[in-house]
Amino acid sequence: MNAHATVAPTVESAGAATPRGRRDIVRVVLLVTLVLCLVGLPLVADPFATTTATRVLAFALLAVSLDLLVGVTGLPSLGHAAYFGVGAYTAGWLSIHIGIDGPVALLAATLAGASVAAATGWLAVRSGGIFFLMLTLAIGEVLHQVAHSWRSVTGGSDGMYGVPATTVGGVDLANPGFLYWYVLGAFGVGYLLIRMVVRSSFGAALRGIHDNEPRMRALGYPVFGYKLAAFVIAGAGAGLAGGLLVAQQRIVTPDDLGFTTGALVLLAVVIGGAGTLWGACIGAAVVVLVRDYFGPALDGHGPLLLGIVFVIVVYVMPRGVAGVAGIRGKERAA
Amino acid sequence: MPSILASNLTSLLNGLSIGFLLFTLAVGLTLVFGMMDVLNLAHGAIYLAGAYIGWYVMGADPTWTVFLAALGVAAVVGLLAGGALSLLVQPLASRPHLDQALLTLGVALILAELLSMAFGDDVRSVSPPSALAGSVDVAGGSYPIYRLFLIGVGLALAVVVYLVVERTTVGALIRATVADRDMVSAVGVDNRKVRIAVFGAGVALATVAGVFGAPVYGARPGLDWTILILALVVVVVGGLGSIKGALVGALLIGQVETFGRSLFPEFASFVLFGALALVLIARPRGLFGAPTGVKV
Amino acid sequence: MNRRQLLKLMGFSGAVVAVSGCGGAFGGGSAGGEGSVKVGLLIPQSGVYSPLGEDMRRGWDLWLEQNGGTFGEYEVDTVVADEGEGPQTGVAAARRLLNEERCDVIVGIVNSAVALGIVDMVNEAQKLLLVANAGAGDITAGQVSPYIWRTSFTNAQVARAMGAHMATLDLSGGVYVVAPDYAAGEEAVDGFTAAFTDAGGTVAGQSMPPFGTTQDYQPVLSRIRNSGAEATYSFFAGSEAVTFVQQYNEFGLADEVPLYGSGFLTEGQVLSAQGQAAVDVRTALHYSTELDSEANSTFVEAYEGAYSAAPTVYAVQTYDAAAVLDQALRGADALDGDAISEELSGLDVLASPRGEWRFDGQSPHQEMYLRTVESVDGSLVNAVTDSLGEFGQSS
Repeated sequence: MNAHATVAPTVESAGAATPRGRRDIVRVVLLVTLVLCLVGLPLVADPFATTTATRVLAFALLAVSLDLLVGVTGLPSLGHAAYFGVGAYTAGWLSIHIGIDGPVALLAATLAGASVAAATGWLAVRSGGIFFLMLTLAIGEVLHQVAHSWRSVTGGSDGMYGVPATTVGGVDLANPGFLYWYVLGAFGVGYLLIRMVVRSSFGAALRGIHDNEPRMRALGYPVFGYKLAAFVIAGAGAGLAGGLLVAQQRIVTPDDLGFTTGALVLLAVVIGGAGTLWGACIGAAVVVLVRDYFGPALDGHGPLLLGIVFVIVVYVMPRGVAGVAGIRGKERAA
Repeated sequence: MPSILASNLTSLLNGLSIGFLLFTLAVGLTLVFGMMDVLNLAHGAIYLAGAYIGWYVMGADPTWTVFLAALGVAAVVGLLAGGALSLLVQPLASRPHLDQALLTLGVALILAELLSMAFGDDVRSVSPPSALAGSVDVAGGSYPIYRLFLIGVGLALAVVVYLVVERTTVGALIRATVADRDMVSAVGVDNRKVRIAVFGAGVALATVAGVFGAPVYGARPGLDWTILILALVVVVVGGLGSIKGALVGALLIGQVETFGRSLFPEFASFVLFGALALVLIARPRGLFGAPTGVKV
Repeated sequence: MNRRQLLKLMGFSGAVVAVSGCGGAFGGGSAGGEGSVKVGLLIPQSGVYSPLGEDMRRGWDLWLEQNGGTFGEYEVDTVVADEGEGPQTGVAAARRLLNEERCDVIVGIVNSAVALGIVDMVNEAQKLLLVANAGAGDITAGQVSPYIWRTSFTNAQVARAMGAHMATLDLSGGVYVVAPDYAAGEEAVDGFTAAFTDAGGTVAGQSMPPFGTTQDYQPVLSRIRNSGAEATYSFFAGSEAVTFVQQYNEFGLADEVPLYGSGFLTEGQVLSAQGQAAVDVRTALHYSTELDSEANSTFVEAYEGAYSAAPTVYAVQTYDAAAVLDQALRGADALDGDAISEELSGLDVLASPRGEWRFDGQSPHQEMYLRTVESVDGSLVNAVTDSLGEFGQSS
């Protein structure tokens, strides 16, 4: 952080076009390569890897939306999976009972996530710190119980199963490669929208709240309204991610919005480095790979691996993957 | 109808007994948070370690001696583990609360997995000491003697903790540390020793609670999360860091878990977190929480 | 580029990776190559269900060991994957077995939500899924999939057996019904209540305490006492079964209101954890180690010899899954789901340690036993006290 803070002004003040231009070129090349890799993945990867990548994308969007709360606004939520689950149940229910097109289901999931976040968020954002953590846990657990008990709609503990394959314009996306591109597209839209929020003046105000809430209040910012708005936007992102999850998984169970999911996504954000959206994506990838890819083959020792990853990350990478990469704070500094 | 009255009496009594058990298993968590500013999410896994110690040492039909031996072993293991945990957390002292909490969460995952390797995944049940086995007639129905004993244990523990914190030099140091950590180290008290000691005590309280709780909850995989969540709810309702709050919160949640469930069976799954949400809505820092918040 | 070309391209490159990376072929062929069948054993190795997973694995291994490790002409190559506690881990593990390991058959599954969650995956892959525990009726009802068969039970099947039996007892004060508030509990309650009331029984009351979060059953026990019921029917498994039976005893109900239940209440390790509190509890199930038959005593002896532990119903169900697959693969000309399903539907009566059974649709039609917990030489067993007749998924 310090190193970056001293380096950045030097680059700016030098005003020399060359280093800055070269850096931009490097960034553009990196970005294009990354996008090409992401888009090209199903052409080279086998169906299982493609499906795992699809899950990573859904989980990454959830982590990105949580990062808006944790890293940007400074509100660590343990109950964020609740809105993820709300989105997943909404999209799943609409696909089963009405048979609507995939993108419409995603839109509905986004709206559902936002609405439930609005309905519950006003309670949560009044507190902060550990108490916010516990209040979101309580809200999440209550919604988890609703998913368990409201059997006529959610299917209870057996889950909402038999969700049909996603269709876009009447064409179904049963092939893992097509589904991956669909989810990638939706992920891209969600990611860019949240990035826009973070980089706007509204995002700057959220960071102000993160750094010094009393000061922001003294400056006349409606802090409560800002926090609630951030909570609702994060809920919308989680809802969209839930819609993507059900498109891939085709079953929703109460576990998808339980404490474990909430804790895992918080872990993903921390692994990535709270405050950097792309870091959250890497964190999500690590968590999903450990749990879904390596976990099942470890003779039941998946949780042990997860615990070790947890401890190592907290010690070795104080600012997450983004901190190690040394370019953390791009979003913050911008 | 007298039997309804009797069953309500049983529920009240049972709520009291569960409440005191909750106090024993939550007091260490709140102590460590109040003193060290660390939310120890490994508390549940440590409790489970204590429960397994109880199962392993006590065997079938334990005598008083064996029961006390189990408590002693659990206390020693707890002190050592707590000291170790405090050293683990030490390097993160300057980091946000969230990082320390996540470290303990990682420790919890690892510890739970180690326990499962050492003791297997079977459900273990533990008999109370034979003098406390069996039931007595209370209000027209039988009631387990061991649960009555737990009321005594919880009361005694509450008194001891109160006396230590309010009446001894150690307690004065603890209170001073809570009030102003920098000042305490400035006047020459070795903060690190206090840290290790308090962490050790807090964790030992968890392992000892594991032995006390074993005859009621047994020992099994997954119990660690159940206990962690219960303990978190108790200390948050009471106000993090407050011993008095932990006692009141535990007694309140004890009633909610038994009386609440028997009054509103159809909402049984919502009463625990419903109560937590209600308390936090009315008092965002819990019943006895400090007015100034800590920043994560 | 049209869709067909694109699909071909994906299929092609996917195959490149598959061949170089995993040594298997892409698509419908068998991963194990000529003469071998690759079976994915999907069982819980972590979490609360792992003791069941252990028993299932033992049952599977024992059958293979006794029969030279082959199904018909095929060498059996077993790949184990961890189901965990639910669909989050279980569905991902199933996908790994089907897509990455390219298994020909999936066997196992404890949690019904996992089985229901992979229905589409199994249908699309057209592979056989042989469920060796999960008891949700929907898994094999209503033709959800031609590829999903089961060697275990349905929740309602076991409960109906007990309901019909308890209706024949003289319980004028009625029966109190209690089960955890989740899908399996509800199926058990519905199955029991229907069979019991149809045969003239009276339900005195019903409680469904929260699943997985109830540590203390005192509120329920007080209600049972106040209801005036003369017996209790319960459906619990795992740690909840231990807690419920122990507290039922501690709060003095065991002496006043006899406890009945579906057999999982006192099955396997759960019973030894319950200890003396479980004595005289009566349950219905399709197996007991105490069954008096030659097939069973040979099986129990071999199992105890191999693992120094008594077998459980979970071990028998998986043991039978291996036996069933062996029968089917003797006749099948291919290893895809259609070929094996066709063979399964042609199977006649199967001999098993549990007694003879056959498929009724895609789930067992089998005899149910009344079992009473007794203390024999200091250890607890489920003594077989009666036969409750034969039950299928629907009848």
